[in-house]
Amino acid sequence: MPNLYKPDLMEVIGVRQHTPDVKSVSLRFQDVERARRFTFHVGQFGIFSAFGAGESTFNICSSSNWRDHIEFCFRKVGRVTEALWRIEEGDTVGFRGPYGRGYPVEEWRGKDLIFLGGGIAMPPIRCAIWYALENREDYGQITIVYGARTVGDLVFVDELDEWARHPGVRVVRCVDPGGQTPDWSGEIGFVPTVFERSSVPAGNAVSLVIGPPIMIKNTIPVLERMGARMSDVYTSLENRMKCGVGKCGRCNTGPVYVCKEGPVFTFQELRAMPMDY
Amino acid sequence: MSGGNGFEPRIVAYVCNWCTYLGADLAGTARLEYPPNVRIIRLPCTGRIDTNLVVKAFEVGADAVLVSGCHPGDCHYTAGNYHARRRWMLFRDLLEVVGFDMRRIHFTWISAAEGKKFQQTITEITEQTRALGPYRPYEASGAGVAACQPALACGAGAFACQPAPNGGAGALACQRSQTQLRETAARLLSEGAVKVVIGYGARGPVFVTRPEEAARLVWNESCFANLTTYLKRKEVRALGKPAIVVKGCDERALVALEKESQVERAEIYSIGMACQGMGQPKCAACDTRQPRYADETIGSADAPAPPPTADRYAALDPLLRQPPEERLAFWTAEFDRCLKCYACRQVCPMCYCERCLADKNRPQAIDSSPTRKGNFAWHLSRAIHLAGRCVGCDECTRGCPAGIDLRLLNLALAEAAETQFGYRAGMDPASEPLMGAYSLTDKEEFIG
Amino acid sequence: MNILTREELRKLVGEWIAAGKTCMGPVRVKPETVLFARLAKAGDLLLDGWVRPANSIKELLLPRHEVLYGYRIEKNRIELVDQPETAPGQIAIGAHPCDAAALPILDKVFNWDYRDEAYNRRREATTVITLACAGWDEECFCTSVGLGPDAERGSDAILFDRGDGRFQVRSLTEKGRALLGEGQGAASGVADPPPARFDPAQVASFAKEHFDDAFWKEHALACLGCGACAYTCPVCHCFDIVDEGNSREGVRARNWDACQFPLFTLHASGHNPRGEQGGRQRQRVYHKFYLYPEKFGDILCTGCGNCARNCPVGLGVLPLVAKIPHAEPV
Repeated sequence: MPNLYKPDLMEVIGVRQHTPDVKSVSLRFQDVERARRFTFHVGQFGIFSAFGAGESTFNICSSSNWRDHIEFCFRKVGRVTEALWRIEEGDTVGFRGPYGRGYPVEEWRGKDLIFLGGGIAMPPIRCAIWYALENREDYGQITIVYGARTVGDLVFVDELDEWARHPGVRVVRCVDPGGQTPDWSGEIGFVPTVFERSSVPAGNAVSLVIGPPIMIKNTIPVLERMGARMSDVYTSLENRMKCGVGKCGRCNTGPVYVCKEGPVFTFQELRAMPMDY
Repeated sequence: MSGGNGFEPRIVAYVCNWCTYLGADLAGTARLEYPPNVRIIRLPCTGRIDTNLVVKAFEVGADAVLVSGCHPGDCHYTAGNYHARRRWMLFRDLLEVVGFDMRRIHFTWISAAEGKKFQQTITEITEQTRALGPYRPYEASGAGVAACQPALACGAGAFACQPAPNGGAGALACQRSQTQLRETAARLLSEGAVKVVIGYGARGPVFVTRPEEAARLVWNESCFANLTTYLKRKEVRALGKPAIVVKGCDERALVALEKESQVERAEIYSIGMACQGMGQPKCAACDTRQPRYADETIGSADAPAPPPTADRYAALDPLLRQPPEERLAFWTAEFDRCLKCYACRQVCPMCYCERCLADKNRPQAIDSSPTRKGNFAWHLSRAIHLAGRCVGCDECTRGCPAGIDLRLLNLALAEAAETQFGYRAGMDPASEPLMGAYSLTDKEEFIG
Repeated sequence: MNILTREELRKLVGEWIAAGKTCMGPVRVKPETVLFARLAKAGDLLLDGWVRPANSIKELLLPRHEVLYGYRIEKNRIELVDQPETAPGQIAIGAHPCDAAALPILDKVFNWDYRDEAYNRRREATTVITLACAGWDEECFCTSVGLGPDAERGSDAILFDRGDGRFQVRSLTEKGRALLGEGQGAASGVADPPPARFDPAQVASFAKEHFDDAFWKEHALACLGCGACAYTCPVCHCFDIVDEGNSREGVRARNWDACQFPLFTLHASGHNPRGEQGGRQRQRVYHKFYLYPEKFGDILCTGCGNCARNCPVGLGVLPLVAKIPHAEPV
């Protein structure tokens, strides 16, 4: 009988450091057969183990089209992420998943895509961007506005450059006032402000907005002013999780379990939920 | 009883960096041989050696533990070993009451120049432990939960078995006090002197914020809880300056909290209630029936408080009469019922840490699981953290849903504090905190 | 058999224990504390009079500490060690209807899309012999949540105390019959049901419509944030997952957890959606009376009253919801 809580063992095939406290890790299933059969929907998450320290929940930040490995990205803040910080190629970590409801990328077909992200929230957006670029004909104009407190806090910077080179893709990067370096050529300002300045038409667009609560709070009015419907604005909720399968009760937020009915929600759905997240 | 064939004891030695560790080093360079059974763990100072480290060593299979540091007066950090000595004095008493085999716990002062002493100490401890055999305190049988047998001479049931003292000096006195209390509360609130009155209600604590609601306050024989615990709650502090209803025993917690800078005495209006006893086990031995430092006392003019009818620490006698193995079996049965609900911690006025040691995971000093080891670690840690601070309100025991006799642990340490240091928590506002202070003359017969 | 004497029942229990089954029943562990506990011997089983144990039998299905699997670490290689997949037979004797009804309620969440096989194994291996209630106290409110002193939900067999040292036996399921035979005993000695104390639909609607009401904050002031209510509740089931061990090996286990602890919802970023006790008390009521019925069709409460009895400060589901405006019984 399968043990619901028992992870797959994964081999670490790559570790990348993005900032002084952010790394991303590429993993491959040790079990070849499992690797062959594994699929997921972009936007779903996994629960990753550093054995001896514990488990932690991260979005699977690689595209669901990539069949040979999965990736996750984390900031070193606590016991588990401190243990994950020490892993190297060849090490073993655990993975349980994929869990949750991913982005409804089929419903997004034919729409323009707007991606707005702040800081460490880029990874759950990154997977959607790659997915869209790999299915380019399905989507219209793609706009990416990504900002962080300082230049040093931006992650996946090289991929930002790569995305900008794709046709019909506009990348705007920004840092908070005071976070720029002398050679910074991007925008200066908070993501909502910079986004509004960028005059992106939002009428036929689906937006994915992920970032700290303050950023989201200030971005919603901007999107509304630009004509976006809240049923077309998506986010991915961060939440304290443990089991990931709707049993331990920790991620219960209002009437939903974020691990089962989320973590992807539209803002229309979020507005119908009490502020319990 | 002797070590079986081939039994090699595992000794864990927690040593300070500046003296004992260098002493061990010296033993090495001087080619003084000592048994390889010891695992040396180096810490900056004995003052840093937390009591839960000693317990942890036994959890992971040590057969004996040595704690060793600089001689008094030689501490690299001046006073670390004085603090350690006081801590060990109390912790030893706790471990004895819980039934640990004290022949397996050793304390020494070994200086950097005493390589020979290190060699001798380790050799002796190893031989001794080899003769004693392996130590597995957590492997007592736990086949089932036995029904209470009050006939047994044990501490079980000490909480409920004691007869209620003749507490009631009359319902009339209570009535008068209740009326006066309500008037006082209404007056304080309508004058704006306080924003909330924390007191006893019909079913539990009430937080009265409007004068017209003063009638929610009661004063009767069910007012045995200690309300001072609410002074640590941020939701209650947010209400503003409180008046708090305290009995003489509860007031000790106010004294203790002020000593530890947790409350500003001027920021609390204390309504003292003279008490005739609430029929709780703690009441029989109570000598603080009258509040001593209240801003206003209600009821003191009534019939004088009867003197205590019991020795403060009498409840410990049945437990202390038992040999260590039986004590350990008793506490194993008690702690096996622990659910880690932390009711004991949450109700305690002195457990006010914003983030308890047990809730920290870098490192996980105390296992969070409700296993035997995890439960021992929790209760031993909490007890020693309360040494010299617990005022004996017994709320922990009353709050425990599993009926664990927690008060015996606190009583044991209170007795140690009074016997060894003449100290009683919350009695003298001017005294220094017990564990926070030390004396050059603290006794050390147990230190080698 | 339709009738069992106390001695016959104890003898049966002794046989079950001797056969290696885990038997759990009310035990008086202290003069004033009765708990459901594993019976070392049949003589410890408390069968006299009506008494509500301070805890529940959920330990049989969801142990307070359960190893999920072990792990061994060797350099960068990990080996996972499975736990045995057999569950020894378990029998609860002397459960109350409010304890037994918890089992089918818990089944729902533990099989919601993902099936928790460890739970299911133990569930399958558990037989519940309920003792119908010959009494109740002022904390009981089973009738407010659709149960009663002789409710049969979740029971494999039900005993009725005739008051003369004998029990009527009614076997309700195969498991019950396997242990006690084909009893068709009639009800006897059942207490009159307690009056309904509130309308759970009103509670659900208040929790949903008045999520941000000051009510929660005000009535949670007394709450000290322990887990006594959740841990003694027959249906509270939230749990934590931890790794325990050393650098070479250890276990990953789950432990009971409670929404009343501030750490329960603390994010790594430091943000805590339920940083105040009012929000945590509200969560308890909301989850039990609104969310669980919405999702699974069952109120996550059996009206046993343990929360109120164990609360050091007099709170609990009944004391709290009784204060909800318009929550009077219909």
